[in-house]
Amino acid sequence: MNERAANGRRASVLAGLREFLYGMTGHEFARHAVATRASLETLFMVTCVGDMIGLPVMPPYYSLRLLPFVVPEIATWKRRVLRERQFSDEHDFELHGV
Amino acid sequence: MATQTHGEAPARTARTPALAVGESLAQFFSKHPERRYVMFGGKGGLGKTTFSAATGYWLAQHGKRVLVFSVDPQASLSDIFQMDIFGKGPVKVMDNLWAQEIDADRHIREYQDEVRAKILDMYGLDKVPDEIEDYIAAASAEPAMEESAIFDSVVDILSEGDYDYYVYDLVPLGHALYYLSMAKVYDEWIGKITHLREEMREYEEVAARMRRQKEMAEDQILGELQYIRTRINAASRILTDREKTAFFFVVIPEQMILLDTRKAAELFARFEVPVAGYIVNRVLPPELADDRAPAYLRNRIEMQRGQLAEIDRGFGKTVLARIPELERDVTGLPMIERVAELMYGDGASP
Repeated sequence: MNERAANGRRASVLAGLREFLYGMTGHEFARHAVATRASLETLFMVTCVGDMIGLPVMPPYYSLRLLPFVVPEIATWKRRVLRERQFSDEHDFELHGV
Repeated sequence: MATQTHGEAPARTARTPALAVGESLAQFFSKHPERRYVMFGGKGGLGKTTFSAATGYWLAQHGKRVLVFSVDPQASLSDIFQMDIFGKGPVKVMDNLWAQEIDADRHIREYQDEVRAKILDMYGLDKVPDEIEDYIAAASAEPAMEESAIFDSVVDILSEGDYDYYVYDLVPLGHALYYLSMAKVYDEWIGKITHLREEMREYEEVAARMRRQKEMAEDQILGELQYIRTRINAASRILTDREKTAFFFVVIPEQMILLDTRKAAELFARFEVPVAGYIVNRVLPPELADDRAPAYLRNRIEMQRGQLAEIDRGFGKTVLARIPELERDVTGLPMIERVAELMYGDGASP
């Protein structure tokens, strides 16, 4: 019983340590990766359904094939692309100190 | 227009055999049985539909299963076969011969419905959100939509049917070139967004690895992009396939037509469309130009003689047939049979 409790404690210490190390090292990378992915997503949406916000798109026929897959992204994308921008916006995704 | 009932043999006066030229059309088909995609291109009104129908007729007579199809919104296959075939899928005209005219508008409507159904199904909705519905309607009204829809249905026709030969009654030259250039643009577009999507996927993987998430959902969009790419490539590959495609230019012995055809041939060469040969249509029988013939006729025949010499100089042995001007228009199977005889009547079989 005691042994099991000790094991449990060790496991949670290890998990905590792992989280801590992740926070020290990997988190910034992961955040950067997710942010870059989001930027690419914006670009992807513009290329596929840019005509929704007034940018002409080459082949509307095949865009429609992709439309069902991007339905959940449309609101976020529009908010992202059409919102007002701050001068400092483009520095948001820099990896500071790495 | 003179009407004629099927089965009644047309008058065979002025039975002018096609003038002997380099290799004959029949020899061409007999030598190249692998060339299953047959196309007739040229300016409007020169006889593309007539030659498509006659070629289909001749091949079908020799036991080949043939589909003659048209993508022209003002298609005239219905007129030449004297049957209403518009938008009805492949309609049997006679043994071994089917004809089809694509109804692009209907294709677009069905396609829109498919997209709507997919959205409802994927997200369990009862109704497509207004914003999305507006987008579907707006996208479908764009001018490129109809061309793309036609392009897409051609891929369906060519990949789903089990015919020995497909005779493609092309739209006038400009449009055909537009299809080809569109295929290139589409291919580049798909290439770019596939690359983007793959990059997104990589970043997603990095993030997942860092967070020790093992499972990532399969990217359906990448799958869809691959599918679109195969469709686009299938269509342009068929148009530009040196092994399987026979593309014939239809010309008539008139200066303007020849100048335009030369320009078009250069453009086609740029898109790597292999031109199999030229067919000269509407050649006035030279024996009509005797002394009793009116000056009008003699002048036209003289003019044609000059242009025919020009055609021989310019296209040489690639001129595969010269078809005389007939005394009436070509509609109905008996007249189609007569044109087929003029085109292929030298005994060789496919």
